[in-house]
Amino acid sequence: MKLTTGSKTAALIAAAALTLSALTGCAQNEEPADPGTDNTSSQTETSLSGELNGAGASSQSAAQEAWRGGFASAEPGVTVNYDPVGSGSGREQFAAGGLGFVGSDAPFKPEEAQGGQGSCAAGSPLVEIPVYISPIVVAFNLDGVEALNLAPTTIADIFTGKITNWNDPVIAADNAGTQLPDVKISPVHRSDQSGTTGNFTDYLAATAPSAWTFGETEEWPLDGGEGAEKTQGMVEALTAGQGSIGYVDAGQARALSWASIKVGAAWVAPSAEGAAKAVAESQLESGRGPGDVVYELNRTTTADGAYPLILVSYLAACEKYEDANLSGMVSAYFKYVTSEEGQQAAAANAGSAPLTSEVGLAAKVSAAVERIGS
Amino acid sequence: MSQTTMVRPAGGTASDKIDPAAVLAASRPNLRRRLTNQITLGVVILAVVMTAVPLVSVIWASVERGSARLDVALFTNSMRGVVGQGGGLLHALMGTLLVTGATALIAIPLGLSAAIYLTEYGGTSKLAGLTRRAVDIMVSIPSIVAGLAAYALFSLLFGPGTRSGLAGAAALAMIMIPVVVRSSEEVLRLVPADLREAGLALGAPRWRVIRRIVLPTALPGLTSGAVLGVARIIGETAPLLLVAGFTDAMNYNLAEGRMATLPVFIYTQWSSKGLDTAAYDQRAWAGALVLMAVVVVLQLGARALPTQIAKIRRNR
Repeated sequence: MKLTTGSKTAALIAAAALTLSALTGCAQNEEPADPGTDNTSSQTETSLSGELNGAGASSQSAAQEAWRGGFASAEPGVTVNYDPVGSGSGREQFAAGGLGFVGSDAPFKPEEAQGGQGSCAAGSPLVEIPVYISPIVVAFNLDGVEALNLAPTTIADIFTGKITNWNDPVIAADNAGTQLPDVKISPVHRSDQSGTTGNFTDYLAATAPSAWTFGETEEWPLDGGEGAEKTQGMVEALTAGQGSIGYVDAGQARALSWASIKVGAAWVAPSAEGAAKAVAESQLESGRGPGDVVYELNRTTTADGAYPLILVSYLAACEKYEDANLSGMVSAYFKYVTSEEGQQAAAANAGSAPLTSEVGLAAKVSAAVERIGS
Repeated sequence: MSQTTMVRPAGGTASDKIDPAAVLAASRPNLRRRLTNQITLGVVILAVVMTAVPLVSVIWASVERGSARLDVALFTNSMRGVVGQGGGLLHALMGTLLVTGATALIAIPLGLSAAIYLTEYGGTSKLAGLTRRAVDIMVSIPSIVAGLAAYALFSLLFGPGTRSGLAGAAALAMIMIPVVVRSSEEVLRLVPADLREAGLALGAPRWRVIRRIVLPTALPGLTSGAVLGVARIIGETAPLLLVAGFTDAMNYNLAEGRMATLPVFIYTQWSSKGLDTAAYDQRAWAGALVLMAVVVVLQLGARALPTQIAKIRRNR
């Protein structure tokens, strides 16, 4: 009896081993494409090959996936990897060396961008470009309520614990006609250091300075409330908790209800177009090098339809690398990311706003990208 | 197996001595005993059910949510160039097999050698005591610490930020070695001292006694110990995330470039989703299902191998 079970399992193992050995070989989707049918931009001057490693902001990960996907067919020899470890650790790794590029929700400081990054050739300044513009939504989970209007001061009061119930008269005043239930508000914040938190607190500090006195910070400054790890943790906490409210990158919060925020005198719902408009209302930060395209976001804009609670995420790379091949790969990848095709791919997979051409931004960005390896 | 003799208690005539009156007198406490027995049985069965519920629930959830993507494409595609729907985990499956294989190649010889030293040479010496304590401490090291150690080592040797399958194997070996040492030591201890003494009495040197008598006798136990060690590390995520990194593409080279593995694949599919979240969730659950299947195959192998080895030996 024992022997038969033994031989049965042995047969099972043999079968599994066979299956596995049959599978070794190249993955189907990685077999070289038929050159006759491939008419994408594969006719580049030099065919690059190698591994290009990046790390940084997790907000970019869905967009990075879209870019990797498109770039893989444009440059079949290059494998791009992106570790969504967070903006802070991404910048640290880049400074330590060994990374090709870094994605960050917050730009490098002007003095950091001038040189001294371990991944670059000695003395090389950085190239920084905005690549991912996305609205941050104030998302909530409240039975029977689909839409809400929340003014910046109200949002600040909810997150600081001043307003604790959904039927609070302050909320009711802005939401005439909505039946607000008697439910305790459970504010959820990000427990990890996060660019989303940084942009959210920056917005509150600019628009509700009397109610939000903690300034801009990537780490949540208050003790109370529920903490959630990473964007996915936030989405899960909001989905599970009745009466909860939080802030999430719009692309990841499709299943939740979104609040409209007050801009000037109007209520504006989050949208990619509104985000793009808010960027158009903002100025480039002065005192930075020609390759360092960084925004000073205008959170208090009152332009029609603008949604200033946004996240602008940057890609940073070196102007010069020790390794010419690496420099070529970074340049090609950045060109793809900032191209119309790349930006549309990100919009489709991550729900971001494509870089708008109207502000002359596209020209500035491509000029910056041209500096890589030049 | 045939050498074992059945020992039967020599109490064949005990029933002659039972006094019917004594049985009657004892019937009340007997009832209480039966009742206690029944209650205890009930509690134990309840405990078994409670242990089984999470297991069944995990398997059920993975099958329910992952089966949608359990297709051929899953095993023939990597994630390179895949956006949203489609793609597969061939790269992660191969990565897991390669990294785990390399880990076993490092950990089993080292762990077994240490165990041989402890049982055959060390005895109660200071070095043996120190080794035992070190192994005990290593067992309780959090896996992320092993990952950090490997990360620091490879960064020092090959430049900052170096990630490779081999670095992952080094981290996992740190977790697996103590498991192998402990299980091997137990198994080697079970080899009867008489066998060793007989060998030594015939004039065989110590290494030959170990090589020809101790190890072959303990082989079935050693194999299952090694396989259980592999099953212990195959699901590790944190150290691999740190030192082996993640990639969308195939990589068969352990020494260079990032290498995807199944646990990290599951994690990344869950943690960085695009707009079409269902596709990512399904891939993550299908990945979990495949990982569980690999572990089950290993466990079955661990159980079957000793019997197979014994069978082959008998037939020789």
